[in-house]
Amino acid sequence: MSEPVKCPVCGKKAKTGSAIDCARHMFGTGDKPHRAWVEAQGLSFIDLLIEQATTPGNKSYVILAEVIEKAQDKL
Amino acid sequence: MNKYTVINPHSKFTVINTHVHNIDGIAKVTGRATYTFDVKLPGMLYGKILRSPHPHAKILNIDASRALALPGVYGVVTGKDTLGVKQGIWRRYKDLCDEQILPVDKVRYIGEPVAAVAAITEEIAEKALDYIDVEYEVLPAVYEPLDAIKKEAPEIHEGFERNINVTRHIEWGDVEEAFEEAEYIREDWFKCGGQAHMCMETRAAVSSYTPEGKLTIYHSNQSPYYMQGLMAGVLGMREGDIRVISHYVGGGFGGKFELDGAIFCSAVLSRKLFRPVKIVYTREEDFIATKRRTPMFYYVRTGVKKDGTFCAREAKVFTNGGAYTGMGATALYLTGFFHSFPYRWKGYRYDGYRVYTNTLPSTSMRGFGAPQAMFCSEQQIEWIAADLGLDPIEMRRKNAHYEGYEVPGQATIASCGIDQCFDEIKKWIKSKGKLPANRAIGISACGFMSGGIFNWFDTPYSFSSAVVTINQDGTVELHVGAQEIGQGSNTTMAIICAETLGVKIEDIKVHSGDTDHCPADLGAWGSRQTLMAGNAVKMAAEDAKKQLLEFAYAQSGFNIVYDLDIKDRWVHAIARPERGYDYAELVKKALRGKDGQRIVGRGYYTPHRKGMVSPAYSYMLQGVEVEVDEETGKIKLMDSLTAHDCGQPINHLGLIGQLEGAFSMAAGYGYLEYMPYEDGKLMNPNLVDYKMIRATEMPPANIAEIDTYEPEGPYGAKEAGEGLTNPTAAAIGNALFHRFGIQMKECPIRPEMILNALKEKAEKDKKGKK
Repeated sequence: MSEPVKCPVCGKKAKTGSAIDCARHMFGTGDKPHRAWVEAQGLSFIDLLIEQATTPGNKSYVILAEVIEKAQDKL
Repeated sequence: MNKYTVINPHSKFTVINTHVHNIDGIAKVTGRATYTFDVKLPGMLYGKILRSPHPHAKILNIDASRALALPGVYGVVTGKDTLGVKQGIWRRYKDLCDEQILPVDKVRYIGEPVAAVAAITEEIAEKALDYIDVEYEVLPAVYEPLDAIKKEAPEIHEGFERNINVTRHIEWGDVEEAFEEAEYIREDWFKCGGQAHMCMETRAAVSSYTPEGKLTIYHSNQSPYYMQGLMAGVLGMREGDIRVISHYVGGGFGGKFELDGAIFCSAVLSRKLFRPVKIVYTREEDFIATKRRTPMFYYVRTGVKKDGTFCAREAKVFTNGGAYTGMGATALYLTGFFHSFPYRWKGYRYDGYRVYTNTLPSTSMRGFGAPQAMFCSEQQIEWIAADLGLDPIEMRRKNAHYEGYEVPGQATIASCGIDQCFDEIKKWIKSKGKLPANRAIGISACGFMSGGIFNWFDTPYSFSSAVVTINQDGTVELHVGAQEIGQGSNTTMAIICAETLGVKIEDIKVHSGDTDHCPADLGAWGSRQTLMAGNAVKMAAEDAKKQLLEFAYAQSGFNIVYDLDIKDRWVHAIARPERGYDYAELVKKALRGKDGQRIVGRGYYTPHRKGMVSPAYSYMLQGVEVEVDEETGKIKLMDSLTAHDCGQPINHLGLIGQLEGAFSMAAGYGYLEYMPYEDGKLMNPNLVDYKMIRATEMPPANIAEIDTYEPEGPYGAKEAGEGLTNPTAAAIGNALFHRFGIQMKECPIRPEMILNALKEKAEKDKKGKK
């Protein structure tokens, strides 16, 4: 079993240990450090949020989850 | 005539669920009850508030010199006379404390306070408002959430990108997988309007600051403790130096547990002038400058199997937050949570976005986001049943909550009477027989919480507390922090106390609504008082009773304390009830035995390990018979039945009053109470143009009370009276669907919408025939 995913900003472990839960945590927290980290990955936090809000499905969470997964190696 | 039927009645009580009249009733009907409106203090001045005419503007300068020169004017205050504290009820989260009641730099909605004046009469104060000169720089404004999130929209609060104030996410199960299992998927967009709280008593406050540094405030509110805490924060005072008195309150409905202009401005004026200052809002001010039910845009996608099994649901919601956060952040969570109710979903996902706009702030209102959720959910479910050719009641029953069910990660359902609710509504529909051609019945189900477990106020106190003191004659002083706002809370607390102590209701004197003399309590919101304050009262009464019975036991010679009991003022052995003596005699003996110390019982309640939302949930199903005039589109409600599970009813007459009251408010939300805005301005801020349901328009509000037992509640009680604001709008919509085949996706459902829908349907049918 793989290691539970940790938030690259605050180190919090995701509820189920998955990257998608970590993405939900980042959107849910949404404070300056979390936003800044998303922006530093070349993504727009607010655009992802609005995409999630205005289209069916879970696209934004999936995009962010992929980025979080890649960043785990650097933690 | 309304019919009240009880299913599964319990009859083991002597006071609970008997015909106890409201203990405040005589004072109210004889006009002796003193509301804030009635308070007069020596040397009192009258205050009025100058309000912004602009939806969004910078305040460049305020010149009050001409107003101050007016004879009879004692003082004027503006934001510069305050500490400029940004306050909010979510004290735990600083970002959400965003409202200065007298803003220093800019206004964000029409009607926002800008300055306040105190004068010797109300008329002079009103006139003085015309003499205050305010220089504004008008800014671009935005009124709808879907416009406010656009890149080019003006920024309403600094640092809130695209005006997104709060987001909330709820999810359980594998939503995508659950949608894949579905054999039928439907998606719809809905628009739910706002609603005015419309309390009989408008916002009102009398503040009196004395040179000793004490501030006494008479105020119409739902939580004196919140007011004390919030006022301490904005005035830079200690909580203990502020006394809030709220003995009689003419309604709250979710709109009176945040600071308002009346309390804040009267206090700031009183501190400046060392005179008592009274501010009472006009009805128009109550409309334009308090807060309102949160308008919402709802996207709902639901996947089911062909046999009606619910698989997955996804909801995305934008709420029109107006200018400030208020209680809107809680409403944003609760609408998403109750949108899943009262059903089991394998996969559920909710994304909620609260967006700032330059309109009247939105907040909590009776139902706390659930009426909007149910308007969308319960109509869509009805349409799905029709699409699949299934019985809508049986489809609901198949997927409903049951006792012991766990809403994944959110709640455990310890009591649930919804199955019997389905039976009662089925019987009622059958009893109606064939309806006239212009009538139809619509149904809608829902559930609701019994108090919230959230501590956003960040209080170190327990959520509810009570103190029971027994006098030498056996009468009882019950001090509670629970707030009586016209809903019958004092009576309910007295009933619980009398039942527990074993005395009569007339032995109990309830003291509430005074922070100097009553214990702290979070107050009257979220249907919390019967369960939470009721548990505290029960505990306090048990504590006092135990102290009494210790003395009775010492005298009796029995070997177990619990062999004794008190019922109806009779102290007796349980096994031999005829052997006993008078309770007042025991009280005297106990006092002597304690060297004269009073018998004092203490109780408190804070929920622990009860999930994310509430310790308990009520359930209900409502049927409404609706008549429609096809020429005018006007709706008339003809009859109704609500099958309702509130656990063990405590205050029988109070329960009936609450259910009827909630139904009238819900009906108003469903088809009458419309709040149209133009350029940020409410177009109908009066009771001529804002249409509420009248007594003559109320249909019979019949009730089938399904008695269950809620283990967390006092004597098995849980919520009643707020949850019933949830189902009616959808039930009306569903009646229209069954009568005409039209789908109403906006509420309130207004005549022109019905006519348009009928026209569109006729055109569609015509095309179909061709």
